[in-house]
Amino acid sequence: MNWLYDLLPLPGTTVLVALGALALGITAGVVGSLAVLQQRSLVGDAIAHAALPGIAVAFIVSGARDSATLTIGAVIAAAVAAALILRLQRTPRLRADAAIGVVLAGAFSVGVVLLTWITGSGRGDQAGLESYLFGQASGIVESDVTLSFTLMAIALIAVIVLTRILRAVTFDRTFSAAAGLPVRFAEAASAALLVIAVVVGLRMVGAILMVVMLIAPAVAARQFVTRLSPMLALSGLIGAVVGVSGALASSAAGVPTGPVIALIGTATAVLAVLLAPHRGVAWTARHRMRARSRLRRTELLLALDHAQPAAPRMPDAVAGDMGRSVRWVRRGLGSLQRAGLAVVANDAVTLTEAGRREAQRAREAVLAWSAWIEHGWRLGLPDAREPNPLDLAGSLGDEMAARLARMAREDPAHAAVR
Amino acid sequence: MPLFGDAGTIMITGGLVASACALLGVMLVLRGLSLMGDAVSHSVLPGIIAVFLVAQTRAPVWVIVGAATFAVVCVLSIEWLTSTGLVRSDAAIGLVFPALFALGVLGVHRFTADLHIDLDSTIYGEIAFLPFRVMEIAGVEVARGMVVAAVVLLLDIAFVAIFWKELKITTFDPGFAAVTGFAPRWVGRILLVLVSITAVVAFESVGAILVIALLIVPAAAARLLTRRLLTMVLIAVGIGWVAAIVGYQAAVAVDASIAGMMGVVALTAFAGALAVAGARRVRSHRQVTVAAATAIRQPGETAPRGDTHRR
Repeated sequence: MNWLYDLLPLPGTTVLVALGALALGITAGVVGSLAVLQQRSLVGDAIAHAALPGIAVAFIVSGARDSATLTIGAVIAAAVAAALILRLQRTPRLRADAAIGVVLAGAFSVGVVLLTWITGSGRGDQAGLESYLFGQASGIVESDVTLSFTLMAIALIAVIVLTRILRAVTFDRTFSAAAGLPVRFAEAASAALLVIAVVVGLRMVGAILMVVMLIAPAVAARQFVTRLSPMLALSGLIGAVVGVSGALASSAAGVPTGPVIALIGTATAVLAVLLAPHRGVAWTARHRMRARSRLRRTELLLALDHAQPAAPRMPDAVAGDMGRSVRWVRRGLGSLQRAGLAVVANDAVTLTEAGRREAQRAREAVLAWSAWIEHGWRLGLPDAREPNPLDLAGSLGDEMAARLARMAREDPAHAAVR
Repeated sequence: MPLFGDAGTIMITGGLVASACALLGVMLVLRGLSLMGDAVSHSVLPGIIAVFLVAQTRAPVWVIVGAATFAVVCVLSIEWLTSTGLVRSDAAIGLVFPALFALGVLGVHRFTADLHIDLDSTIYGEIAFLPFRVMEIAGVEVARGMVVAAVVLLLDIAFVAIFWKELKITTFDPGFAAVTGFAPRWVGRILLVLVSITAVVAFESVGAILVIALLIVPAAAARLLTRRLLTMVLIAVGIGWVAAIVGYQAAVAVDASIAGMMGVVALTAFAGALAVAGARRVRSHRQVTVAAATAIRQPGETAPRGDTHRR
């Protein structure tokens, strides 16, 4: 991979860190998406904590400190923890959250005991241990990066090969089981993928904060796309950006990598939740505000037109007649004035010509909607769609709208009301 | 030398902390809030740092106020994220507490020299140093940590005793509780604030991460053994004391972390409970089978009585 290092105009360690974070971001983003959609994202938290005793045991057994040996230990321990969680969740009386909590706490306790025992028994100091807890990107060497990319390739290939089964089990477990799909196998595969992602991230983010890299990219990606494959790709991309920026920032500032990546990850996810178009909190709030203002304008317009179309009226009187607050009326008036539908002179309101036409149009729309409610079933539409209340003619087609209007005119009850 | 000696002080404090955790842990486990408890206990760390930065103190009262504030921030953030409908509760938990914990870790890293805590103490706790910090009560030297733990345990016991009815009803039938005006959400929130106060004390003894071992593991083990709330609380507290005493002895014997060993003992108790529950289930299955067979063979007679439907 040396050509890759030479390609970038950066110091060697920085490139290594960036590449390691890239592999982590992509793996965790893709794998984490599945976990988040299955509502099992905190299983990743438990698996990450459970890797600790595995690392300790690998060190005790082999005496080696190289990352390949320690990774094997981490993989075995994480896999055991994943299997235990799956098994415990089937125990009656224990809820999923308790099963996750017990495995997380138990495994971490065992890990802490083993690590302190290593130090105490003089088998070596626990230097390098903190890097597995909080992440230390600067300690990464070339073989780590190669290992990360290998694991990433395995995870991605597995996801691609198993996409169909994973998708079915993720979105409809009961149906998948009934249809004869290997649900248990898919669950085991998801857990195995989580194990791979955790192992890739252990050195970079650390066991305690690893869960962020599984969740944050997935939550952020989910806000922008609705289909699984684009979500996996986008989540991998966001994970890569979060990972690389966090790793570089922490290296530059000389602080542990895990916390920096965790903060950037959470911030990204929260920003996505706030700002995503069509879905985010801010977008929804703006949409709702606009709809409310449109409704207020129409209501005020109809009231003004209904009472005395030509004569000027005081806002206070309008508010009294409508049973609304004066503030509400003034807000609506501002919007009417801006649209050129009303003029205010000496604090008295008059509808303009355009205002009266707009009121007429609004009244027709209301009548058309009540005609649809009352007679729509007689139209015999070829499909079961629900038309847009704001644009009935547009969504039904002119011919249907005309038939609807005729039906409404011919209805004696309707005529009497009018 | 404080009252009860060094070893006694450590074991008694451990037992007090474990009891407080187990008491609240039972409620968390039954409500499906185990991982909320985990999240809250992580968010204690930035609270401690923030109090130190603002008030330059590590006095228990102020630290508890700071930690409780961050716990409230943590709980409300998770609830807000979930209430947007865009993030599921598990993902919301996994987004919020690592961010808060990360703030704490960065704070420790930045101000570690002034703070007299380091990353090791957030993982291993400082229970071994408890006997060194003493105070005098009525002329008797006692460890400060032990007194604080006892006060918090009393607070937890008072809360659970006073709100026993409310806790029971909001835990087992939140819908009915809401209809009759018991506000299950607020009971849950107050519970989590108490968890954070307990977690501060536990933080001093067993560190931020192993708090969950004392919160969840004894309670989950007790859940496997009984169906009655009071029995469950007593069993969980009992396991907590066993974890504190046996854990200390074992840790001293092999020279390992006391906090970690307490977690390991609790885990062993859980494994035992799992085995007992499994054996019991097998037996009750067999009873049902025997009862069914008897009923088929002798239609006139009634099946043997007994709680064969116990789960």
